[in-house]
Amino acid sequence: MPSATFLDPAALMRIKSLELRAKVVVEGLWKGMHRSPYHGFSVEFSEYRAYVQGDDPRYIDWKVLARSDRTYIKKFEDETNLRCQLVIDHSKSMKYGSQSYTKADYAATLAATLASFLMKQGDAAGLTTFADGIEEHLPPRNRPGHLRRIITELERPAKAAGTSLDLSVGQLADLLRKRGMICLITDLLAPIEHLEKQLALLGAMGHDLVIFHLMDRAEIDFTFEKSAHFRDAETGAERFIDPQIARETYLKRLQVHRDTIQAATDRHNVEYHFCPTDQPLEEVLFDFLSARQRKKASKRISQTV
Amino acid sequence: MNWLFPLYLAGAAAIIAPILLHLRRRPPQDRVEFSSLLFLDAQTPVPVSKRRLENWLLLLLRCLALILLALMFSRPFIQSESTAAASPNSATLILLDRSASMRRADLWKQAIAEAEKQLKAAKLTDRIALAVFDRELTPLWSFEEDRNTPANRLTAIQTRLAALTPTWNATQLDRALIAAVPSFDSSTTTLKKRIHLVSDLQEGTKLDALRTIAWPAELTLSVHRLDPATNDNLSIALAAREDDRSADALVRIRLSNTRDSTLRDFTLAWQNAPKSDAITAQIPPGASRILTAPPNSTNATTLTLTGDTHDFDNRIFIAPPQPSTVRIHFLGKNATRDEASSPLYYLARALQPTATLAPVLTADEKLPAQPADILFIVGSAPPDGLRDYIERGGFLVTVPSDATLLKTLTGLDLAVTADLSDEYRMLAEVKTEHPLLKPFADPKLRDFTKLRFWKHRHIEIKTANPSLETLATFDNGHPAILSARIGKGMLIVLASGWHPADSQLALSTKFVPLLYGWLAAAGFSHDPAATLLVGDSLPLDASQAHTITDPENKTHSLKPGETFTTIQIGLHKVQSAAHTQKVAVNLPPDEGRVLPLEPTKLAEYGIKLATASETSAASETTDQRLTATDTEQRQNLWWWFLVTLLAVLLLETAVAGRSRHSAPAPA
Repeated sequence: MPSATFLDPAALMRIKSLELRAKVVVEGLWKGMHRSPYHGFSVEFSEYRAYVQGDDPRYIDWKVLARSDRTYIKKFEDETNLRCQLVIDHSKSMKYGSQSYTKADYAATLAATLASFLMKQGDAAGLTTFADGIEEHLPPRNRPGHLRRIITELERPAKAAGTSLDLSVGQLADLLRKRGMICLITDLLAPIEHLEKQLALLGAMGHDLVIFHLMDRAEIDFTFEKSAHFRDAETGAERFIDPQIARETYLKRLQVHRDTIQAATDRHNVEYHFCPTDQPLEEVLFDFLSARQRKKASKRISQTV
Repeated sequence: MNWLFPLYLAGAAAIIAPILLHLRRRPPQDRVEFSSLLFLDAQTPVPVSKRRLENWLLLLLRCLALILLALMFSRPFIQSESTAAASPNSATLILLDRSASMRRADLWKQAIAEAEKQLKAAKLTDRIALAVFDRELTPLWSFEEDRNTPANRLTAIQTRLAALTPTWNATQLDRALIAAVPSFDSSTTTLKKRIHLVSDLQEGTKLDALRTIAWPAELTLSVHRLDPATNDNLSIALAAREDDRSADALVRIRLSNTRDSTLRDFTLAWQNAPKSDAITAQIPPGASRILTAPPNSTNATTLTLTGDTHDFDNRIFIAPPQPSTVRIHFLGKNATRDEASSPLYYLARALQPTATLAPVLTADEKLPAQPADILFIVGSAPPDGLRDYIERGGFLVTVPSDATLLKTLTGLDLAVTADLSDEYRMLAEVKTEHPLLKPFADPKLRDFTKLRFWKHRHIEIKTANPSLETLATFDNGHPAILSARIGKGMLIVLASGWHPADSQLALSTKFVPLLYGWLAAAGFSHDPAATLLVGDSLPLDASQAHTITDPENKTHSLKPGETFTTIQIGLHKVQSAAHTQKVAVNLPPDEGRVLPLEPTKLAEYGIKLATASETSAASETTDQRLTATDTEQRQNLWWWFLVTLLAVLLLETAVAGRSRHSAPAPA
């Protein structure tokens, strides 16, 4: 899909209502697709299995029993559906934005778009916000009004706090018992040594982990020119920086950081999306869906092999 | 352009501060919010070197604001031509009080010293005039004299001052100040005008007339109040007598004590009177009492108060009783003086001596050698010499029995016939407004109903427009009293006599007043002489020459028509050809009210008083300063500087605000 047709994020962010914003993105994407890329993997193969003692008799398929006089347990459709937990970073660093909107705005729109998209497909979406710990947690549901709740939650202003990725992810592991997809939307501006362990834990629990790494263009390129006191949005610490001198080191360190993240995600089979906030949302969504499809395909291949 | 406070101009040097601030090598103060300093190391802030001025517009505005502030505080004004031309010299009039109250203690010496001090303080280029005042202003040294001979003025004025002593006059500060204003002549127009008032400023001074004038704005008054060691004072003044008419009426005096006075005890005695006759008593501070004078056994003329510190107002002069003799002649037999039916009998008893009049009644069938003051004729008489007598100023009262005398005297055609009716007559119309009937001017005394006339003569005047004037008529329309002015004299014609055979007039209460009314009309007033105060003119007969002997035994000869204004207290002897009289002249009672007034009291009358700083000797620079202050206050240029300053500050805010917007941001 050519990028020229995508909606400019700045223009999108001018839409006040988050719900409307999400709808705009999803509709655009929906129209461009002839076939849902999720079809096939989102609905897992439903099966019948023989009733064993201890199973809940509620799940006995009475029609089959009547027809064949055998007791089979029917697996519920919803159980086979995708349970996607959107995990949003609400830390102070997310409030940074060199353009007319911040990373938090972008993250909220992205989350809303994903939730809207998934729920339109019949999948369940949940929302968790965190900063230095879990703030809000909405379990995945697919009920009328749930999207509304998610969007309301997203619209709530972020609490002023620093990022504690490892702690938050650890708490999340406790909250999410059922397997599903976890979409972590964050700027990952925190030391990620401990994060890796938590990612491994979530992976081991069978969760399908997707990380959307948001970065502002100013953070990526460090385009400052004048010397000034730079203040850390999370800690409030100030450092005098001459951008001319500091840029090279900054870019180098950022690259190392990104490389580290890339390596960690690769190692734990975590889907990693790097999203500069000036990238159109449809494109991010499209990339995400394409990646899912590729993953599904590779899964099938590996299964067949 | 001039400055009221040029020192503030130094404040303009403060512009160095913004220049230095703009040049200051300072580390950048910009702050940039960034998401995380995770990948950034701290660096040592390198001070931003500013070798050239940045924000020069801002700097210019700030410097301008400071300069304007300094200019504003130094209060600029433009010295116009007229104010520049105004000379710093002054025209000063020294007003010296020499009223009687200045006789207290050493007040007069103080006054002279103060005046000399002011004289010496004046520069040679200043114009000086000096005047003394009591009841009125007396110039001693005018501005014109000063202009002609400024060099020796000090000596000249000192000589003239030395010859002066306080008078006995009252203080009329209002008249003095009003008279002082025009004494600033045209030569003083460009000068600063000032009056130095050297006075004890006693509360008895008159100020009321000051309300009648508008005090010139350019004229200031400096008050130099002289205060004696003590203001405690007892004063006495004559009070009205209970009955003025009787010779032995008691003398009543008003005794006053000043407020907060420490004096209480006093003794009131006639001069040279024995101690037993003196009144010794107490009077509380601030009180005023009417006292009856002690018995005057020695016929003294001075009543003295003792027990007071200031004795200028402790004497009252009372002229001794000196009745003037009135020679009255009755043309008839003197033998009838004791006959109850004769007119002379009643005249002799009615004309008794009073405090002011001593009637001498003679009776003879011939006219006296020396013309009488008043001549009474009852019945017919030969008219020889009577016309002359009247024309030379005689006063004739006649009850005619025929027309001969009247025809001769008046030259009128008239007839006198006896009215023979049996009925008594009463007075019907009485012209009480006529001077000859003045005693009956009071409505209480106009009841003539008990007065009956048994017999009268009908005086018929046949000439039109007669000179005879009818003063009263009987109820039958016949004239009862007629009068005519003939030459200098006066003729009174009665249609009925006063003796019981003719009427009840002599026996009525109207007779004595009627007679004394005629005496008054003849020039023998029996009103006691009004109490004279210093400054009053002596009552003199304008037609006669007088010789006046004042209390210091100096004689003054006055031609007819001249007046004599008293300047001393005491008994004045007034001699004329006719008689000699002693007139007592006393101190004006207000002069005894010696408590000092506050100088600010004068300001209530619209007088521009000099402030304390102006009265100081070294006030010249202050004067210039005040002129500058006045000019500055009129022009108010600082206001415009303030407005400009505010405009500059607004502009500065706008410019600074705009440059603040261009804070560092990611490119």
